[in-house]
Amino acid sequence: MSATCEFQAKDYKSDLKPIWCPGCGDYSVVQGIYRALAAIGRPPHEVAFISGIGCSSRIPGYTTAYGFNTVHGRALPIAQGIKLANPDLLVLAAGGDGDGFSIGGGHIAHLIRRNIDITYIVMDNQIYGLTKGQLSPTSQKGRTTCTSPYGSLENPVNPLLYVLAYGAGFVAQASPTDLAGMAATLEEAIRYPGFAFVNVQSPCVTYGEEAQQIKGLKAISENLAAIGHNPADRLAAMDLAQHYGEKLHLGVFYKNPEPPPTYDALIRERQAQLSQGALPKERILDLFIKK
Amino acid sequence: MRKDLVFGMAGSGGDGIVSAGDSLLQAASAEGYHGVMTKSFGSQIRGGESSCRVRISTDPVLNPGGNLDVAVALNWEDFLKFGAELPVAGTTVVIYEAATGVPENQIPLVGVTPLQVIAVPIAAMAKETAGTERAKNTVVLGLIAGWFGIGGEAVMKGISKKLAKKSQELVEANQKAFDAGVAFAKSHPLKADMTVVPSSSKGAVKLLTDGNDMCAAAALFAGCQFFGGYPITPSTEIMQFFTNHVWKYGGAVLQAEDEIAGIGSAVGASFAGKKAMTATSGPGLSLKSEMMGLASIAELPLVIVDVQRGGPSTGLPTKTEQSDLFAAAFSAHGDVIRPVLAPTSVADMFRTTVEAFNIAEYYQTPVIILSDQEIASRKETLDPIDTSQFKIINRLVPTGADLQDYKRFKQTENHISPISHPGMLGGTYLASGIEHVESGAPTNSGSVHQRMNDKRIKKLDPLKERKDLFEITGNPDAPLALVAWGSVAGVCREALQMAQAEGLDVKLMVPYLLYPVAEQTYRDFFASVQKGLVVEQSHLAQTFKVLRMHLDLPKGLQSLARSGANPFLPGEIVAALHHLLSELQRSHEGKLQPQE
Repeated sequence: MSATCEFQAKDYKSDLKPIWCPGCGDYSVVQGIYRALAAIGRPPHEVAFISGIGCSSRIPGYTTAYGFNTVHGRALPIAQGIKLANPDLLVLAAGGDGDGFSIGGGHIAHLIRRNIDITYIVMDNQIYGLTKGQLSPTSQKGRTTCTSPYGSLENPVNPLLYVLAYGAGFVAQASPTDLAGMAATLEEAIRYPGFAFVNVQSPCVTYGEEAQQIKGLKAISENLAAIGHNPADRLAAMDLAQHYGEKLHLGVFYKNPEPPPTYDALIRERQAQLSQGALPKERILDLFIKK
Repeated sequence: MRKDLVFGMAGSGGDGIVSAGDSLLQAASAEGYHGVMTKSFGSQIRGGESSCRVRISTDPVLNPGGNLDVAVALNWEDFLKFGAELPVAGTTVVIYEAATGVPENQIPLVGVTPLQVIAVPIAAMAKETAGTERAKNTVVLGLIAGWFGIGGEAVMKGISKKLAKKSQELVEANQKAFDAGVAFAKSHPLKADMTVVPSSSKGAVKLLTDGNDMCAAAALFAGCQFFGGYPITPSTEIMQFFTNHVWKYGGAVLQAEDEIAGIGSAVGASFAGKKAMTATSGPGLSLKSEMMGLASIAELPLVIVDVQRGGPSTGLPTKTEQSDLFAAAFSAHGDVIRPVLAPTSVADMFRTTVEAFNIAEYYQTPVIILSDQEIASRKETLDPIDTSQFKIINRLVPTGADLQDYKRFKQTENHISPISHPGMLGGTYLASGIEHVESGAPTNSGSVHQRMNDKRIKKLDPLKERKDLFEITGNPDAPLALVAWGSVAGVCREALQMAQAEGLDVKLMVPYLLYPVAEQTYRDFFASVQKGLVVEQSHLAQTFKVLRMHLDLPKGLQSLARSGANPFLPGEIVAALHHLLSELQRSHEGKLQPQE
């Protein structure tokens, strides 16, 4: 870890102009990320920000950092390679609900069980926006979209229960309805030593339903701290997470009070243990000498 | 006496026939012989048929050999399953288990009369001497020592070392089984003397390893610090070698959740500034193709090993084939060139792997090493390799001046732009799979796309000038030619020697660089060629077609191609060359005849 210095939110803002629609929830998310990074104080060049494909996956381009806008659904596999190759980096991964829970849905479980110190932010808008309004894995059953003109026949994924069930050490939810709260939640997630997941309800102003816009979200939002939820209580967190889609709980659902060692830290230990007495690389073929 | 012997042995999974092959090769190596061993199995994990082929010679061994000199069948059903992989001819001594009840004049080999056929009560001898039929393989080793003079002391020394950990009784039991084999051989002499000439290099230091382990060791030598992969036959041993050793060099290995995450993590590690690798076989290569495209457009160095097996789909998971050339060269959408290299033996796997890293790092591109099941799992004795002869190339990093106004994808004279990595102050940029301008910012511009494609494709042009990635042997002006790569190259090297000894004027090209196609190098090679063969284990003749796509081939150049698990024999290639020569002579005579 390098020494932290004074940084301001604007130091993380890049020169690129977002392609997002006016009023898109993702503007607030990127602001929240700037603020969280400034509060933590890691210099931009020590931050790697990885995304998949989708409207929200453009986000690394709007952040001053080492960004990588990869392929659909694969932010996490690439992010884990970065963190394992250089554990000193602060690694963020981000994408939409389709990127994370549909095409890339197989990766989350494994990042969680490995407990690699990465913060994964999903901008959940219950729709495929970039391809112009198709059903997503978090769309409500019955919803009509251009790929479900007679209404969806599928149950949605519950992202919060999904990650809690796999044993994520940090699970939270945020929304543009409370920008300060979102920045604080993202900061806490990044500071958590281990895999951290933040689901952000980020309204799609073009294809989203009325109830999922800011006004509708405000009407169903409830602050977890205000209702006295204890974030150390995983079962209580799972109980609350069942209300995903009906209520918008904001804040930390679960934070492991005794974080176990991360995969990247264990790798460091193994490297230190085994580096003693290794053959110099130039003599590695000596391993094949038969006497 | 003989300078070269090819053994082929087959039995059921539990017979220990492969471990007998291992002992034989190790003993031969200790006695100073050169040797190669290949293994072939059914795809069952336990039971089923298993076989090995061991070739031992006083000279360096170019391939696992053609027809067997010695065939050992512990039972006929399993032996016959290997078909052309264990070819018996009129020069073969056949040794088999007498308990099969098959009379010596009725062995189930159609259309061939072996030199000699001997039924040996192998299981009974094992039971009688060692108290268990499990010592059958040790009896076989005794028979080999007795009849062919290989490994008398060295075999038992090796076995004792292996078994001493278990119990001294076991060592003694095996010694008895071995001695019984030797005694049987002595009391039943062969019609012809087939003992091997003693090696002159007894005691010289030799390496003994297979292609997968050599590949992983070479990667570590080249500075690879990250491996991401997923288990798949026949490439898995590469990941296993990394797991045993990479930590010692400050690196890491990830057995990922799937093939995509395997290569994805390696792409990430490369983005983070480390040399990175993944390895797979056909099905995995198909899954990785989108990520290979990403590495190409993001200009990230990456080495991908594809250990070819029979395809398509699951195909023949445990057998060798050369049918992934199209996939290696062309899979992933869009206009992209990805270098493809191929080793021809365990020995040159070292060089090929180091070269793959050098090319990947220098040109900032994914590079595929197209290995195959035979090279990957065959064991070879090798002379020590002087690693100080190998140069290691690292990626071009930006200077302080570059970082003043850093543009990651800056257009330069040689189309190669300095590459920063996370942690480097002043080097932040956006890498992406989307088309981008020099800074990395996304674009939809057709003119930028044209320029950037130009950059990514033209930067690889100098590779095509690399004459050192081609081996050309034989008379440079010969009218007859052979072209072969990968494990088939070794067969053609031997065919070349045999053909030359028979007076044929022929030459051989072995490309280590398969793609991009080095057009001029081939044109120069083909200039004198009137007749020739592109020899490959691909039903579609993929190599021949890739060459034809890029070149006007000589009219007389033909394809000698067939599916995997049907090995080429040096003799059949020589016969094909004779046929080509007679065609050539006829056409010359035809020209001299007055037209009717």
